[in-house]
Amino acid sequence: MRLEKCWFCSSTIYPGHGMMYVRNDAKIFRFCRSKCHKNFKMKRNPRKVKWTKIYRKLHGKELPQDTTFELERKRNRPERYDRNVVEDTVKAMKKISETREEREAQTLANRMRGKKTQQRREDLAELQQGIHLVKAPTALLEEPSLTLPKEKMKVKVSVEQESKAMES
Amino acid sequence: TIRPQTYSNVADNSGARESMRIRVPGASNRQYASIGDMIVAVVREAVPNMPPKGSEVVRAVIARTRKGLNRDNGMAIRFDDNAAVAIDREGNPKGTRVFGPVARESRECHFAKTVSSAPEVLRGIRRNRMMLR
Repeated sequence: MRLEKCWFCSSTIYPGHGMMYVRNDAKIFRFCRSKCHKNFKMKRNPRKVKWTKIYRKLHGKELPQDTTFELERKRNRPERYDRNVVEDTVKAMKKISETREEREAQTLANRMRGKKTQQRREDLAELQQGIHLVKAPTALLEEPSLTLPKEKMKVKVSVEQESKAMES
Repeated sequence: TIRPQTYSNVADNSGARESMRIRVPGASNRQYASIGDMIVAVVREAVPNMPPKGSEVVRAVIARTRKGLNRDNGMAIRFDDNAAVAIDREGNPKGTRVFGPVARESRECHFAKTVSSAPEVLRGIRRNRMMLR
């Protein structure tokens, strides 16, 4: 039993799932589900289709190259059964998948770094620009000391944000 | 599934190019033939100057179907075309080479010889006859 990779989306194909298409030049394409197969029939290039693993790796959304992928590389030579090797492999599989998850989480964190502050800045700008949607201009004029309305939550958040924005 | 009147490519060098299925021998009204089944077909298109002429009746074994197979391990296999290999009454292949991939299911007794015959390489493609396990 061998776990294959879907040609289109690179997900694992477990036994009993998916389908194999054999072209007349003897090239085999395996698909995990009909979604991938249909995309293939539409002649879509998986490198351009956003939800595939290939696209994500190509565009830096996910960990592209790593030594942890080496263990899963396909080997065509069958190994002679050795109990110790099997035991070590099972242990290694666990450890390596843990490491890989850590590294992927790190990649995600790196990609998302600075997102929070940027989001805050954008939110503040939107609040300041669009406050007339929430509070009538006359109401703002009634309280000239405040540039933003008196609503408790909003004032708190905005003051905090403003001070933080000014700090940063 | 190959029904009567289905055209299929001939995947060997017996001289026929396209054949049309007539019957499945041995069953009175059998409609469907699949990979590994022997069929009776009429040659519809043939390589010129070679033994099978157009409208000659031959027997063949189905090597590939677009409908494909469902394996016991759950894997479904589909091929690119419908193709058959011409055989004689004993089950020996009429040609000497088989083109394209062939499913293991066609190793039935009348096809085993064809499938095991070592083909030459076709146009530089390494495995023109591939056993799909």
